Amino acid sequence: MGVAVLARRDVEHSRVYIDQLYSNDSQKCFQAVSELKFAVIGSVREKGSIIEQGVVVRLLQILRAPELDILLKTEVATVLNSLAKGLPEHAAALVQAGLLPVLWEQLESCPSGGSGSAYTQMLLCCLRSIYRQGCAPPPPAWDQKLLSSLIQHGYHPPSNQECVANILAHACKTNEQQQQLVDAGGADLVACLLCSPVSRVQLPALHCLTAMCFNNERVSSIIATKSYGGKAVPDLLVGLMARDRPRDMQLAAATALTFLHRAGALSADDPRIIYKTLQCLVRMCRRDREVWERVEAANTLAYLTEVSTDLQRTAAMTDHLIHTMNDYLKDTTPPNASVPQGISVSPVSCRQYDNPSTWPELMVGAALKVYASLGANDEDIRQRVIKTDVLMNTIVTSLSAASPPVQLAAVRCLHSLSRSVHTLRTTLQDHVVWRPLMTVLKTSNNEELVTVSSSTLCNLLLEFSPSKEQILDQGAVEFLCGLTRRPHPGLRLNAVWALMNMAFQAEHRVKVSILHHLGTDQIFRLLSDTDVHILMKTLGLLRNLLSTKGHIDQIMQCHGKEIMQAIILILEGEHSAEVKEQALCILANIADGDIAKSAIMSNEDVLKKLMNYMVIPNVKLQIAATFCISNLIWNVEEGAAERQNKLREMGVYKLLQNLMTTTDTGLFDKVKTALQQFH
Amino acid sequence: MRTNVDSDTDQSGTNEGVKAMETSEWLEETNKMHIHRADMNKLIMNYLVMEGFKEAAEKFSIEANIKPPMDLDQLDERIRIRTAIQNGQFQEAMRMVTALHPEILDDNSQLYFHLQQQVLIELIREGRVEEAVVYAQDHLAERGQRDPSILNELERTLALLAFDQPDTSPFGDLLHPSHRQKQVASELNAAILRAQNQEETTPLLAELLKLLLWAQDELNKKKVQYPYMTDLIKGQIEERK
Repeated sequence: MGVAVLARRDVEHSRVYIDQLYSNDSQKCFQAVSELKFAVIGSVREKGSIIEQGVVVRLLQILRAPELDILLKTEVATVLNSLAKGLPEHAAALVQAGLLPVLWEQLESCPSGGSGSAYTQMLLCCLRSIYRQGCAPPPPAWDQKLLSSLIQHGYHPPSNQECVANILAHACKTNEQQQQLVDAGGADLVACLLCSPVSRVQLPALHCLTAMCFNNERVSSIIATKSYGGKAVPDLLVGLMARDRPRDMQLAAATALTFLHRAGALSADDPRIIYKTLQCLVRMCRRDREVWERVEAANTLAYLTEVSTDLQRTAAMTDHLIHTMNDYLKDTTPPNASVPQGISVSPVSCRQYDNPSTWPELMVGAALKVYASLGANDEDIRQRVIKTDVLMNTIVTSLSAASPPVQLAAVRCLHSLSRSVHTLRTTLQDHVVWRPLMTVLKTSNNEELVTVSSSTLCNLLLEFSPSKEQILDQGAVEFLCGLTRRPHPGLRLNAVWALMNMAFQAEHRVKVSILHHLGTDQIFRLLSDTDVHILMKTLGLLRNLLSTKGHIDQIMQCHGKEIMQAIILILEGEHSAEVKEQALCILANIADGDIAKSAIMSNEDVLKKLMNYMVIPNVKLQIAATFCISNLIWNVEEGAAERQNKLREMGVYKLLQNLMTTTDTGLFDKVKTALQQFH
Repeated sequence: MRTNVDSDTDQSGTNEGVKAMETSEWLEETNKMHIHRADMNKLIMNYLVMEGFKEAAEKFSIEANIKPPMDLDQLDERIRIRTAIQNGQFQEAMRMVTALHPEILDDNSQLYFHLQQQVLIELIREGRVEEAVVYAQDHLAERGQRDPSILNELERTLALLAFDQPDTSPFGDLLHPSHRQKQVASELNAAILRAQNQEETTPLLAELLKLLLWAQDELNKKKVQYPYMTDLIKGQIEERK
């Protein structure tokens, strides 16, 4: 039996049918389009060739022409759909040629409720194929009318449902779009689609739901209360997470529930989260699962457990999770790997599995994120995580050698671990993590990465951290002072905080270095910062600098004038009691210095302020002020007598006597101590 | 909720070498199982509809008084396509599928490859070597480039060209018509069912048999002694030693 072979390399033949596309004879044109259809379906090369030949323009022309036959237009739409399923660059070329507005326009002109229309179906398929390639530029907001009609098409039949759900799932990217989608009835549609008997419809519906809920409190709370067929959406999701469902569906449902929880619609102790979602995700991390599944599940699990300590604890004891994550760090992917055909990974991450050589790195990143979440709050979990084989080495290598997303995962992990004092003193010494960390800080442009790194560095610089000395030698002081000038408030805060930690019980040379690199001008600027946390930490920094008698005297000798100005600035400004208390504590420290005392004593204004604070109805401020006075008059020190006389003249002694009637024991003690000093 | 214990070793079942029960007892217990006739009929109807035996389904529907799960005219297109494949008319089958469900061949490149592979095999079988090479270059080369798992199969197929008598070559199995054609026909049938939004794409009877075989396999791995079905078609049971 002979087999007829279409020799596509027959140039004559192909040129003929392409030429005929431009014919005015609709019969001939239709035949040409049909031939074109058979040529491009299934062949990536033909798709590219057709696009290169500029045929797309003619095809769009046909769609637009109102007088042309609908069968012809349907055939054209079929061709365009096939072209859109090619390589991403093919889809991009179609978008560039202006395909999208034409499709939307055509869809609008189709009678809605004409659900059986093959043309409508093909248009929707085409839109779906384009959006799935991820190359359609997201509009800032959707056209209201378009959105409504699209949603209407989504109710029937199943093939339209699948297309509409996919379009919405891939197109919904911004907060505004999420709101619009819900307001236009998108949540009701999704609830309906979740109950479809066709799994090809349910899966994109899940992706759509996830896209709507992500990071959006309002939308999530609306969706969580929707129901269909008597079942609430969260319960429907639990059903779709069951073990008899396809893997990609289980994952999508678990992700949807995760996003609902993180956006505040379901609490951490909701049984559907803590006893269902969490377990499903842990299960999908097992060694016998495919790579894409394990990576997606781990990333989602990390996000699920990022905040709640209860979830962290439960996860840490579920199914040897900590041990399973360890496997991720050592995994090797076989060379012929690929994602099985027919699997639908989420719109957000579908492209990242294209290249199997990146898979080991994806695994490492996912595992580090899970460890970072698990170890965020609980010391026991942290200790168990730290014991994990190869973890520290992986962190150190990832900090320096990996791609930015994995670097970030490594820093997050390190940050969680650095919250443990014990770890700071032990493991984080054995593995010199601060060196690659400093490199990241100095060389990275990624704001998120630098913020988390600086926060980690902050922890490493706590007093009881032995690596402090080495970090200083690396020019850390200068670098951190530079960071305090950055526009991002998170960075400024971490930098000042780190300097504050550094200054705590530090040697004189360190304090000098800080003051030198920071400069009193910058201190003033930081004290005027709009972020009150930065202000507090700056005061904390000053307080740490001005500790230990010798240091106090030396520092006040060089910078006394500016420091006093700064303190007055705070005391006179509109600040909370907490802030003022800090300022008074600094004064108290200054009052401890031998020579520095004169800076206060010679300033009548400050002395008057101190007296005011002693009688102000705020116990903490009173205590701070009294303590300061107490230091000033301490009779062991030289010149005490003169100081006491002066203060007595101003009426301080009398004030102290009045304060003896206080009911607050802390204040009472301070006052009594002060009075005892007076001769 | 099961309490999870974080131990290093999994508690594996200790059923090795266990004897399930005597064969006679087993058979007695099995005979006590009651299967409803209605369920049996549904299974048969499901098989007939899935595989595209339209006439048989129509007759069975009348005789067993059971309603078919779908309009039987919907079977026509699948029957036509399956017939084309059985007659070796692969290109014709591809065109039919594309006309009815244009997305199938774009979405299932493995299937498309198998169909094209069959065309290639036919050309080789008929000794039309030059045409075979051209066909391979025009259609299969790009697919092999993009998908490394297909490359292996492709190479085996093309290797047939090196032999004067391909059917006696080491890759001769590729030329055996029945097995391959049936595989491709089933693959295509399943793809069409999926495109028609059917949830099941293989007959439930096949799934049942697979379940039986899998269960026996699992028991064998654990070295359990039980009455073992050696012949699925005759239902012959033997004592497993």
